[in-house]
Amino acid sequence: MARWGMVIDLDKCTGCQSCAVACKAENNVPHGSPEEHERRTAPFWHKVIAVSNGEYPAVRIDLIPMPCMHCDDAPCVTVCPAKATYRREDGIVIQDFRRCIGCKYCIVACPYGARSFNYKEPEEKEYHRPDLPPERADRGIWPFPHRVHGVVEKCTFCFHRIDQAIREGKKVGEEVVPACAEACPAHAISFGDLDDSDSNVSRLLSSRQWMRLREEMGTSPKVFYLTG
Amino acid sequence: MTTDFVALEGKTRGYRFFAAVLGVIALAGFISFIISYIQGHQVFGSNNVIPWGMPIVLTIYLIGLSAGSLILSSLTYVFGREEYRPIARMAVFLAIVLIFGAMLSIAIDLGRPEKFWRLFMFFYMNNMSSMFAINGILYGGYFIISLVYLGIIFAGNHRASRITGIIAVGWAVLVHMGTGAIFGFIAAREAWFSPIKPLEFLAAALTSGVALLIVAVTLTLALSGRELKKEMVASLGRLLIYFIIILLVLIIVDKLTHLYSPHREATLYLLTGQYSWIFWGFQIGLGVVIPLAVLFNPRLNKTIGWVVTAAVSVVIGIFFERYYLVIPGAAYPMQYYPGKIEGVWGSTGSFPLTPVEMVLSVGIIAFLALIFILGLKYLELLPPGEPAKEEVKESVAEAGEANNTAKTSEGQ
Repeated sequence: MARWGMVIDLDKCTGCQSCAVACKAENNVPHGSPEEHERRTAPFWHKVIAVSNGEYPAVRIDLIPMPCMHCDDAPCVTVCPAKATYRREDGIVIQDFRRCIGCKYCIVACPYGARSFNYKEPEEKEYHRPDLPPERADRGIWPFPHRVHGVVEKCTFCFHRIDQAIREGKKVGEEVVPACAEACPAHAISFGDLDDSDSNVSRLLSSRQWMRLREEMGTSPKVFYLTG
Repeated sequence: MTTDFVALEGKTRGYRFFAAVLGVIALAGFISFIISYIQGHQVFGSNNVIPWGMPIVLTIYLIGLSAGSLILSSLTYVFGREEYRPIARMAVFLAIVLIFGAMLSIAIDLGRPEKFWRLFMFFYMNNMSSMFAINGILYGGYFIISLVYLGIIFAGNHRASRITGIIAVGWAVLVHMGTGAIFGFIAAREAWFSPIKPLEFLAAALTSGVALLIVAVTLTLALSGRELKKEMVASLGRLLIYFIIILLVLIIVDKLTHLYSPHREATLYLLTGQYSWIFWGFQIGLGVVIPLAVLFNPRLNKTIGWVVTAAVSVVIGIFFERYYLVIPGAAYPMQYYPGKIEGVWGSTGSFPLTPVEMVLSVGIIAFLALIFILGLKYLELLPPGEPAKEEVKESVAEAGEANNTAKTSEGQ
């Protein structure tokens, strides 16, 4: 079984936020007003943060695209009381909206702020995919066919694309990648199988210096950042 | 022994008026809940930085009060302290009402409250490594054990009530430590992450519970013209001193360990930041300094009025301890990457106190007070007293008032 991971080259990233926009478009993540964004009630599956170190003129800005880290030891999976968040066999941490009771414990526990709560009834209720884990997709979209308020959402590594690619026999990581990786004009985001030593992500990780965010949390995230 | 408890007649105009007022407030709270259910949690102040708001503050506060009640009742039924017997039944009933209120608050805070039953599908639909799921067992069990305990007390079986009392008190300790673990086990929130949190919660629960009982008991007995022993109030005051000191030690240890660890920014924010006046003024000032100053003063700690003042101060102070933990405690932005995170992703969380949330919180308290006074009417909870039985409800009003003041004063 593959173990999907993402490698983001910070040297190539220009901070254009195409990844965040593409994610919103691909997954139909509701748009929030500027006020809601300021209040932090607008959902984001993918965000780009700017981190400054030092004072002007000796200042350094790091631009960090932050999807869900899909941690191997995910705190959100540990704390979810309803089994709504779980780790698939291929390492993707999935949020099941039908099971989610909206207790927000996972938002509290996530060290990366990767999770968003649906604070209001979204205007665009359709997902591009049924809001079901893929292994249940044959049962249809009952009983929550639409996106509703009151549940927690997060990045899924575009698992619908991955699953479809595997069904169609395409190569994940080369022919098919998540929407953010596809949209990146600088080709800074790579996606692939971390367990496969021939995959592009493994090659990048073995040839370049990399780091992961908040390693001290012990979550072993599967999003890697190339730094040198 | 068991026959000398009576029910409130509850036929006076005052009782009916008070019940009606509580009913109206509770109804307003229910309407607020419906609004929040239809509109979503945008009507609350919570957001993705501070995910939990007033209902969770209320939950942990009510659980704490529930403990104090139950443990005070055990003084009579387990340890045989006869001087507390007049209020022991009321204390058990109060504990049941409060734990019910706590569970109600949690259900209301869920994004999809209609799915709350999933919290009780133990081992089948639940992830038992979650503190929420474990607390589902603890809270549910506590509610059931307390109900059985009250039933046995009504049946008048001394031996059985003693055994259930021991189980209930032990279970209550687990409930509070489990509640603390909800916060203390979260590594991502540095200000919360601490092995001391469960013990701190237990200490805070005992402190606030005993303090509220001092207030409620004194008012009940005084206003209904029943005999009020100075010694009993003073001894409860001495008990309160121990709990406050334990709580103070735990707070200091908790803050110190956080300040010594490399991730001290969140705790520094809590101690010196924008809202640190809540910590110093309410949690330390009202919760610790004023009550200790009163209770250690040899002239003041024997007068009922001053002991009650200290108790009220503790009740308010502990409420703000809970408030400060849940809301400003989560406000400090997480350090995703070393450096200063620019813009909205790195700014401190804000929490507007919205009208819907405030009405909802007050409504929950009013609903609990309504259940409580209905309980006084239909169950034999009160000690007998010849004069002016109906005035008892006044004291309940006052006790509820203490909670409400705590709520409203912070709403500004």
